[in-house]
Amino acid sequence: MANAASGMAVDDECKLKFLELKAKRTYRFIIYKIDEKKKMVVVEKVGEPVLNYDDFAASLPANECRYAIFDYDFVTEENCQKSKIFFIAWSPDTSRVRSKMIYASSKDRFKRELDGIQVELQATDPTEVGLDVIRGRAN
Amino acid sequence: MYGGDEVSAIVIDVGSYSCKAGYAGDDTPKAVFPSVVGSIEQTGETDEAKADKEAEAASDSKNGAKPMDVDKAKTKRKLYVGQELEFRRDHMEVISPMKDGTVTDWDIVDNIWNHAFRQRLLINPEEHPMLIAEPSTNTGQQREKAAELMFEKYKVPALFLAKNAVLTSFASGRATSLVVDSGGGSTVVAAVHDGYVLQKSVATSPIGGEFLTDCMMKSLESKGVVIRPRYSFKKKEVGPGEYKVVDLDLPNTTESYKLYCMRAIASDIKESVCRVPDTAFDEVAYANVPTTSYELPDGQTIEVGADRFKIPDILFNPSLSQTIPGVDGFADSMSVRGLPRMVIDSVNRCDVDIRKELLSSILLSGGSSSILQLKERLEKEVLEESSGNTRVKVLASGNSVERRFSVWIGGSILASLGSFQQMWFSKAEYEEHGVSYIQRKCP
Repeated sequence: MANAASGMAVDDECKLKFLELKAKRTYRFIIYKIDEKKKMVVVEKVGEPVLNYDDFAASLPANECRYAIFDYDFVTEENCQKSKIFFIAWSPDTSRVRSKMIYASSKDRFKRELDGIQVELQATDPTEVGLDVIRGRAN
Repeated sequence: MYGGDEVSAIVIDVGSYSCKAGYAGDDTPKAVFPSVVGSIEQTGETDEAKADKEAEAASDSKNGAKPMDVDKAKTKRKLYVGQELEFRRDHMEVISPMKDGTVTDWDIVDNIWNHAFRQRLLINPEEHPMLIAEPSTNTGQQREKAAELMFEKYKVPALFLAKNAVLTSFASGRATSLVVDSGGGSTVVAAVHDGYVLQKSVATSPIGGEFLTDCMMKSLESKGVVIRPRYSFKKKEVGPGEYKVVDLDLPNTTESYKLYCMRAIASDIKESVCRVPDTAFDEVAYANVPTTSYELPDGQTIEVGADRFKIPDILFNPSLSQTIPGVDGFADSMSVRGLPRMVIDSVNRCDVDIRKELLSSILLSGGSSSILQLKERLEKEVLEESSGNTRVKVLASGNSVERRFSVWIGGSILASLGSFQQMWFSKAEYEEHGVSYIQRKCP
């Protein structure tokens, strides 16, 4: 357990949707948010497999924190189809301190619930989660 | 208390320079006062002490505004905390509970806590959970001492110890970052990864705001400027807008109190005129920079020139302080490094996989982080010293209040979360498992 963890619980739905994305590839991305009243992380939105990176980027609110899972498809230099599952902690500089604090202090626990994350990113502005960054980290 | 399981917790952060205390959920701490206290040795029962005690007994019944006497029998000293320090008293020494960022005198800390709870926040500690921010360098023993004092003396219902670096990191939205906390008494660099402080990465240096203040003071003195403490003179209006300054003779003022008052002035000079130079300070190049004027409390106006840049540059190049007459050398000069070196060394002691991420989120916090241009200069120098095309990003909240109080603010939000209520180290757990359980509850 990390020092100063928030104690935020995780809704079972978060795990189920993640497993579906991982095993059945039924989603391109999943956006999670923290429901302070329910004291847990919940699924906010899922993206169909036909959607692309731009649709995903557009789903991250400009001034609010979120967690996100993105399934990135790419072709390697050997012309091989591959995919990597990204975990993104989205915490824009323009969001409120309270929101930043809640998301950062709940992340460790939440991430442990999702078994199978391959790459992890923390982003505070759109450039830190740009397609070039994702492409770079996938290799 | 308000609504359901919401508990109004108290958040307290005793730094080497100031103590920050307030209610969880607030944006800023309600009470901010010096972490040093005044102390008068009590030799026997003097009339004055007797009178003081009587006054205290009388005011105690009204939830007293008088300072608490510390365990009279044992220590025989009277401590003055908070505003009590504003008044000069004969034979009053100014002492600090800390040395190099860690507590060495728990008795003083106890008095500071007491002052914060009963005279500033006006609360009964038995009714409120306490979140204490602690230095990343705190040892297990010190944590247990703090917990014991809180449960045994203040009888708090629940307690939590959160690490400074983690609170700062979280408050900026990052679970992983390199926290550069430049406070009053020291500067601490610590890597935080997924909410854990990586102990081997922690680097400390005695160069903080107070050291810079001392350098400023000594440098001015060497140029013939006499800083007169506010208590040592009286201003008389002799004509409209014209003042005559009369020196007061107070032979029983201690050297430490005089120094404390002079530092307060030097510190204000520093905060008003200083700015980090864009490149390393060079005595020759800065010889002719335009000066800035500053009016001292006694009315004399001084001109500050090269020192505006030289003093803050000591953070980057500590050996520069040795060129100022009267500044003591460091006992262990090997351990004193400039800020960029500390950052690089700290990062290099971490796992190779996370170095990139740390360098791209260096967080500046603490009072000294407010010096102009500090962020830009640090970013530039770390970039130059780090190898290859690493992305280096130094971040500091645009809001100076948030920067100065980032630790407290982080604690305030955390302790106010409904979900956090299960995380407290409760009195029942303390009674069942003993004090060492704090290491499990607050790792």
